[in-house]
Amino acid sequence: MKILTTLKKVVDVELNINVENGAIIEDGLQYVMNAWDENAVETAVQLKEKNKAETTLVNIGGGDDNTKIIRKGFAMGIDNAIQIDDPALENSDPSIYAGIIQKVYEQGEYDLIITGKQAQDTDSGQTGIILAEFLELPCVSNVIDIEAIDDQHIKVSRLGDAGTEILEIELPAVVTVSDGINEPRLPAMRGIMMAKKKKISVMDLAGLGISWDELGGGSPKSEITEFMKSETRQAGQKFEGDAAEITAKVVDLLANEAKVL
Amino acid sequence: MTKILVVADIKEGVLKGSTKELLSKARAIGAKTAVVAVGSDIESLSADLADAGSDTQYIADDKSLDLFSAAPFTSCVVDAAKQFEAGLIWFGFSETGKAVAPRVAAQLDAACASDITDAQIDGDQITITRPAIANKVMQKIKVNTEQLVAVVRAGAFEADESISGTQNVVKLSAPEPDLKAVIKEVLSDASGEIDLGDADIVISVGRGVKDQAGIDLVKGLADDLTAGFGSSRAMVDAGLMAQNKQVGQTGKIVAPNLYMALGISGAIQHLAGMTGSKTILAVNKDPEAPIFNVADYGIVGDLFEVVPILREEIKKIKG
Repeated sequence: MKILTTLKKVVDVELNINVENGAIIEDGLQYVMNAWDENAVETAVQLKEKNKAETTLVNIGGGDDNTKIIRKGFAMGIDNAIQIDDPALENSDPSIYAGIIQKVYEQGEYDLIITGKQAQDTDSGQTGIILAEFLELPCVSNVIDIEAIDDQHIKVSRLGDAGTEILEIELPAVVTVSDGINEPRLPAMRGIMMAKKKKISVMDLAGLGISWDELGGGSPKSEITEFMKSETRQAGQKFEGDAAEITAKVVDLLANEAKVL
Repeated sequence: MTKILVVADIKEGVLKGSTKELLSKARAIGAKTAVVAVGSDIESLSADLADAGSDTQYIADDKSLDLFSAAPFTSCVVDAAKQFEAGLIWFGFSETGKAVAPRVAAQLDAACASDITDAQIDGDQITITRPAIANKVMQKIKVNTEQLVAVVRAGAFEADESISGTQNVVKLSAPEPDLKAVIKEVLSDASGEIDLGDADIVISVGRGVKDQAGIDLVKGLADDLTAGFGSSRAMVDAGLMAQNKQVGQTGKIVAPNLYMALGISGAIQHLAGMTGSKTILAVNKDPEAPIFNVADYGIVGDLFEVVPILREEIKKIKG
């Protein structure tokens, strides 16, 4: 089985994000591997450990932060890495990402594509699903369990509105995984050392054989025109002291001030 | 005139509140409205769908649509969108919406937006607002296509109880089943429980409740109040609460009238799922817990001591 996973660099959501004049202030931001992509990598590596599989990751973008997360993917157990680095990709949207991954897929004869169900920076959750539509492949999103049935089939569980849905999927296919699927491993020292020696296959859009216009880059379906700081809630009244007294006080406030009881 | 197609949110044969919220917003914008309902044994809902504020009801009712499957669901929505010539296609905030909206957008070659909190229409120009980066920022997005498919964030639009529509049912033909991703069964652990998305009050537990006994204690309070019962991620990871109870960036996003966070410290990922609530009450032993920064009312104390008193005091005022 050949597995392709996607890896996106995202801003560290634990840090403060500041906005000025409609844009995010880049200064002081740090970038990490999208947490859900970490689950995708872990899923691929576990499938490789249980079955025979070759794992490849694709990363879009350049720079040290992307190299760092690719090395982390290697250290977790990924075999190969493809990086698409092109200055045109500065302002991409899910359908552009999907178009690029489609091209990578078509050149690699993969059986299974695993992506995180969304990225922590946009929380959109579109790329993997749109990719499957472009490729006309079966797709299941929000997957919390996966196992190989045979070379051509997998069984997955997804968290749906009615409960846990169990599906059998014919390969090739796309799945997007939730964080409930596994606990990503901390790379061992040996893996980290080996990851430093592995080669990353870097190419630009021309090298991949596709142009910015073919990806729809010249005419994006939507554009972010402005960032604004979210309205933050203010801390309200906090009570300390005798439990019986303060709890009665708070219930009174809920009923008579907030009027929600 | 703008035409807005709302995808009906149906659970266990019942139309959920989000459908009316979306239709209320659509009518407030001044759009022509339609709704598309997909499922099995749902034809009887056509009056409810009209009452919710739609003037046309596209209904795909077929045995094969009993269990959710994304591809045939998508076909029905695309079919309705084409017949209605919809400019905007709106989904309520649900796993169904998140799975189907990008597919519909790809098939219609339309723009797609997840989690929108506002939509403005100025002539042909659609502009939307949505949160990003775990709610830390808001994005304003200009849509360049004539059509937009969007999932609307829970609680973003308010239902206008005064609206209603007219009944005009259009039956959709049954779609082809997905033969490559076959739904085998659904393990329902939520049947009969109060839906987190619909509840007026949601009570969530975190690490502070410690174990099953702590969960049971809080569950008693939730039962008293007919409240939805949610969880932080820590409790899900510990195997003490089911995954579908998780409130937060990766789980359910809720916006009830009252949210009670019991023994929850308030990690950024959890806050992203509940800060849209009208009123927040937090109970935590640690006075420095970040949950207190977003809570309207905070009780610093041991929840094992506080919850029984809460139950008593609430019983007193509710009679």
